Amino acid sequence: MMKRLTPWILVGPASLLVLAFLILPVGATLVETFADPKGWLAPYAAFFNSGFRRTVLYRTIEVSLITTILSVILGFIAAYVVAQMPARWKSIMIIAAVFPLLTGVVVRSFAWLILLGKNGILNNLLLSLGAISEPLTMLYTKGAVIAAMVYLFVPLMILTLAGVLEGIPKDVTEAASSLGAPPFAVFRQVILPLAMPGLIVGAVLVFTGSFTSYATPQLLGGESQMMMGTFLYQRAMVTFDWTGASTVAAIMVVVTITIVVLMTRLARRMNPMAA
Amino acid sequence: MTVSLTLDNVTAHYGSTQVLQDLSLAIAAGELVSLLGASGCGKTTTLRLVAGFLEPTSGSIRLGDRDLTRMPAHQRDIGLVFQNYALFPHLSVRDNVAFGLKQRGLGSVERKAKADTMLERVGLSAFAERMPAALSGGQKQRVALARALVIEPPLLMFDEPLSNLDAKLRVDMRVEIRRLQRANGTTSLYVTHDQEEAFSISDRVAIMNAGRIMQLDRPEVLYQRPANSFVARFVGFENLIDMTVTERNGASVKATTPAGASVFLSQDVFGAIPDRFVLAARPDGLAVTRSEDGIPVTLGIRTYLGRAYQYQCMAQSGTYLGNGPLTEPLEPGTAASLVPVPEQCCILPSDA
Amino acid sequence: MRTTLHPALLMIASLIFAILIAPLFIILGASVSDTSYLTFPPQGFTLQWYSNIFEITAFRTTAITSLQIAFFGTFLALLIGIPAAYALNRFRVRLPSFLSNVFVLPILVPEIVLGFSLMKSITIGLDLPVYTTLLMGHTLLVLPYAVRVVGASLASFDFSVEEAAISLGCPPLKAFLTVVLPNISAGVIAAFILAFITSVNDVSISLFLTGPGVSTLPIQILAHMEQFFDPTIASVSVLLMLLTVGVMAIVEATLGLTFLTK
Repeated sequence: MMKRLTPWILVGPASLLVLAFLILPVGATLVETFADPKGWLAPYAAFFNSGFRRTVLYRTIEVSLITTILSVILGFIAAYVVAQMPARWKSIMIIAAVFPLLTGVVVRSFAWLILLGKNGILNNLLLSLGAISEPLTMLYTKGAVIAAMVYLFVPLMILTLAGVLEGIPKDVTEAASSLGAPPFAVFRQVILPLAMPGLIVGAVLVFTGSFTSYATPQLLGGESQMMMGTFLYQRAMVTFDWTGASTVAAIMVVVTITIVVLMTRLARRMNPMAA
Repeated sequence: MTVSLTLDNVTAHYGSTQVLQDLSLAIAAGELVSLLGASGCGKTTTLRLVAGFLEPTSGSIRLGDRDLTRMPAHQRDIGLVFQNYALFPHLSVRDNVAFGLKQRGLGSVERKAKADTMLERVGLSAFAERMPAALSGGQKQRVALARALVIEPPLLMFDEPLSNLDAKLRVDMRVEIRRLQRANGTTSLYVTHDQEEAFSISDRVAIMNAGRIMQLDRPEVLYQRPANSFVARFVGFENLIDMTVTERNGASVKATTPAGASVFLSQDVFGAIPDRFVLAARPDGLAVTRSEDGIPVTLGIRTYLGRAYQYQCMAQSGTYLGNGPLTEPLEPGTAASLVPVPEQCCILPSDA
Repeated sequence: MRTTLHPALLMIASLIFAILIAPLFIILGASVSDTSYLTFPPQGFTLQWYSNIFEITAFRTTAITSLQIAFFGTFLALLIGIPAAYALNRFRVRLPSFLSNVFVLPILVPEIVLGFSLMKSITIGLDLPVYTTLLMGHTLLVLPYAVRVVGASLASFDFSVEEAAISLGCPPLKAFLTVVLPNISAGVIAAFILAFITSVNDVSISLFLTGPGVSTLPIQILAHMEQFFDPTIASVSVLLMLLTVGVMAIVEATLGLTFLTK
């Protein structure tokens, strides 16, 4: 009797924590949006009927997509080089990626505040070079948010892809070139397809991370570049429109989970090792 | 189109470590030559130099009238079979075989036709749609072979292609590789550490050590007439005895071990015998007898070989292995003599 | 060894790595600037912004809260997460398969949604103290590390070793503590470190779980920045980066940094 219950006793506390502090509260948030006194789906109608809110959603999607694409490209290049480097350089590069990754979002976003501000290093540099005559407004623009977000996610991409690329056996790429494939064909026909599942997983992490981010759009985008995260906070804590906030939360959950589920399924289908 | 492969005074380094030293090697058109040696002897380095994955420090590599020395790997047109197969895991068996054809700009219909013909030749027609992960080791090796052959390369190279297969399959694949190589008459370079494999498959074998070729010859010659102590030891001449000529009497020569024991050898059998030499013999080349002449020894452990008894023989100049007749088993501790069997022995240049 | 790396590729990659590290040095520079606003390169040199941190009580109290929450949250997560990871690996066939997905939920659900929902249902709905909810939120946040990182160690553990111990007369709990646990210690250390640093750096969950007298350091930094734009924030950031350096030193010493690429 005792023996049969052992597994359940062991997973019990952790499961209860997830149930009580995640499934039920988040479930309640989602359910609320469907049980609005103004009618079935009324909060969603309100959301999509508002031009401002639609803009926030579209902006969030746009920023997240651009961030994902840039992070994938830059991360891939860096990871590709890491995978080819001799051990000593490799570990230096990995440290250079891990250090920002373990440093908090607030600190890393803050760095871009110094970089892009009116008195920031970039403006000072451009002024002294004579490229501009007066400081540019770079903060609180879409570009600032994207730059900081790419900065945020590239290390994650590098570490994910470096592991994937190192896992591609060297003799497979050698076989390709011995069969007459020039370097770019080796990349295009062998390395890229083999890295694709890892690349998709990394891209999903970046997209969902950007889509639900708060600190970076708050610091670098401000009111004018509101995104879903900052908008949720504003609804909940400034205007106390909890239904509105819950609606934003529900859209976030649906988008994230849909993307994660679809893309991990795609990545798994593309995994050549699973015959 | 069969061409020869020529390596001229090739030297190669890994960082500051020299791994090949002035290596010269010529493989005739249509010939299969093996590089045989222990790991670290430079055989794989040689193959990688020819393949273009390494660049030599000096020397030149030529295939027919093409200079390969500094040519990028993908322009060399060499069929390469890897130790771990190196199949593309994301491509089907057919697409693996067609990969090289695609690089050569063949259309998809032609690619498929050629790949399927080649798969038929290696007996894998039924597996064309499979992914590599769903194949057995032997099947993977056939795909790797088909992939290398289908581009009809002027040179085929094999890097320990059978080392991951079980014993039975190894023999089958060995025959298969030889059959396909013969059928196409493709010049081939074969790298292995397995002596039996090298001897059975090759026209000629190069035995390598420390980045140099110790001897390059037909297997029969290597086996019976090694040119030096290293090769002799490699092909099983377990007894290497330093000898000095102390007396010459016409064709008959009296040679003495460092410990002072003497044997008589005939120059009619061995040709001219130098003043100092190494007498090399397999155990069946040293007869264990009770007679007085020969090298005096004390017998140690006796083992039964079926056709003879083998004895561990302690002489003053060292410990040797000799064989004695089944008719007369001798006990450990007995005093006996070792007498060289002329046809089974070799005279090698002295190492000193 | 000949490498096929194109020089342009190498240059772009070097630039990427330089840009990854440069902003952190800019913060370091800005933190010692003798100006009342944030600037780089620093003008003059002063440590007043560092002493300023200690004069602002909010930084001190929130830093203490952050460390407390990170420590206890991680500890709690390991305490309930390790048994769960063990059960999921050891008794795979006896537990429903959806159960392992349950422990992915804290990663899957956006943190900001979790924070908001916790505030609504727990702090306000159940009237639980803010501190408790904050601790629970962080425990949840880091629970996946405990379950999955430790789980990865357990997946490569040969449970017949544990059975051998039990067959030799060792009671099950003692067998776990003396035979299984030492063999998965790398996973436990990794889980602890990753969980701790994740908790300290978290913004999105803590955002909604602050109240009178309860807040975390990152939230305090955000709040401070809304009012002041002086180098104090830079100096706080430098201290947080020192924490990162410490964490990396521990990872390097115990597991090796390459552990993180797996």
